[in-house]
Amino acid sequence: MKSEGIRKYLKAIIVAGVIVLVCIILGILKPGRDEVLSRTSPEMQKMIDADANSSRKRVTVTYNDMLVISYASLSTSGAKVMSERYVGFLGKVYPADEGAMKIVGQMVNYTYRMLGCGENLMHGAKLTILLTTLTVIFGILLGTILALGKISKHKVLRHLSGMYIFFFRGTPLLIQLFVVYFTVPGICGFAWRDLFPASDAEAVYKGAFTAALIAFALNSGAYCAEIVRSAIQSIDKGQFEASKALGMNYAQTMTRIIIPQSVRRMIPNVSNEFIMILKDASLVFAISLMDITTISKNIMTSEGSYLVFIPALVIYLVITAFFGIIFNKIEKKFSVYE
Amino acid sequence: MKKRIAAVLCAAGMAMSLAACGGTAEAPAAPVENNGGSDKADSAEESKSSIDISGATLLSDGVLSVGCEVGYPPFEDFADDGTTPIGYDIDIITAVADKLGLEVNIINTAWDGIFAGIGVNYDVTCSAVTITPERQETMLFSTPYINNYQAVVLLADDDRTVSSFNDLDGLSIALQKETTSDILMSDYKSTGTIDVQIVANEKVTSCFTQLQNGEVDAVVVDSTVADGYINSSDAFKIVYRDESEPEQFGIAMGKDNTGLQTAINQALKELEEEGYIQDTYDYWFGSAAE
Repeated sequence: MKSEGIRKYLKAIIVAGVIVLVCIILGILKPGRDEVLSRTSPEMQKMIDADANSSRKRVTVTYNDMLVISYASLSTSGAKVMSERYVGFLGKVYPADEGAMKIVGQMVNYTYRMLGCGENLMHGAKLTILLTTLTVIFGILLGTILALGKISKHKVLRHLSGMYIFFFRGTPLLIQLFVVYFTVPGICGFAWRDLFPASDAEAVYKGAFTAALIAFALNSGAYCAEIVRSAIQSIDKGQFEASKALGMNYAQTMTRIIIPQSVRRMIPNVSNEFIMILKDASLVFAISLMDITTISKNIMTSEGSYLVFIPALVIYLVITAFFGIIFNKIEKKFSVYE
Repeated sequence: MKKRIAAVLCAAGMAMSLAACGGTAEAPAAPVENNGGSDKADSAEESKSSIDISGATLLSDGVLSVGCEVGYPPFEDFADDGTTPIGYDIDIITAVADKLGLEVNIINTAWDGIFAGIGVNYDVTCSAVTITPERQETMLFSTPYINNYQAVVLLADDDRTVSSFNDLDGLSIALQKETTSDILMSDYKSTGTIDVQIVANEKVTSCFTQLQNGEVDAVVVDSTVADGYINSSDAFKIVYRDESEPEQFGIAMGKDNTGLQTAINQALKELEEEGYIQDTYDYWFGSAAE
């Protein structure tokens, strides 16, 4: 039994190992930052030297390190615009100002920016994944409470849960986000970024992220409530009766008998909800956070490059595929009852 | 105001006269003949219908469609009824179209991709567009119709002193995405001149809400927009205006639409001479602004 399990994964392990090994080799052979930037033209170097003592610097040095390949660019602002781009790969530095290398350089740069590399967790793909995962977790917890409320015998609880679900499913997420971020602090007289120490330069993004997480979780809770409720109610009535016959009370019946069985039936719908949130996460553009979609749109407007959407699609697909596998595993694990 | 009514009347008169002789064979030739014969001396007599628009490419005859990101007061915003666009840009482009004998069709569009729509969804963009060398590579601009500076806005009770953008070091600032303010401040940040947290918003109005709510310390914005906000609210103050790098706003149109460019420039020149541009400026920005 055990050896069979290992054999099943052996192929995957070998493939992954080979990929990792190739990446490590390519990573070691990749030229470093200094080597790439040493190719700088004399004029550009002069500008960089002039900047050192200036209060208004003109040269932007970008260096994107992406495991196996690196991209560097130097560009100046002002009336006379100069720019130089390089791609470092397999021990060589290639100029990337035109032709195929330019596209390679752009792809590396765009992917780097959309993944949010070199930034904190509130940027790019990291923001999308973090927000989505936390939203689903809080959403399910809140949804379970709401679902139990909605099927409870208490009239008040039932109505409260019903009203909550009606409100959050009946209004658009974008407006809920605006209300949480702009209206609530405006009326109550606090600022989201004050939740974090004033010395924290990133406080403004963290504040916005907190607001986004609250809005998303409240919204997702309403959808998850219906998912959980339908899963619980799909369990055969006989199970309740059998539990009662065994002398179990309501709490025991729910936690030991009903909910474990309903989890499997929830998974496909939760997986759906997860993917919906993953894409809805782009709504955070409205409160000045930058997720994958927002970054790709920005690159499109500022550089006019339509190529940016290709890495964006790939990043989304990789994330969805990864979480799809995880949901499959969870579903299999909970299928033992059926 | 009077001048605007006059322009409308003249445009209406011209439209009627064209309609009147629409049935005759000479009709298409008539305006061309007029233009050929008209020079500076008798252009006053010819009045508003003197500008030749035969070389201009328009998406639909007799209509100048204008792409505009409505929501950028006082350049363009919706009136209280929520559907009528009003503002400085709207007045200017309407007067220009009147000069050209065209009707104006304002098309509200998102700032993202506003330039991609030129020649596809609308003929021109008149939406507080700064003339930059990069943009001039892909589109044509009219002569500038307003000067603008980058300005720093703080809350009225904030006692920070800002005498250059370098004083924003360590602060969180809000600005509108992909605008000149964004390009400028991103440049200050990416070159390492100052360390600043940039909060980029879709709409400039969000920036001022964030400032008022205390989410950010300052707003960097076009001085013209800042003037409009200061006029209408005591909550904010302008503490710095970067007069070293003035920007000019122009009407943008398709790269190959030189005919339209010439016609619009001519119209702007006449409006300038008539004092219409100055009057409109005073009306929207008050006399406080230079």
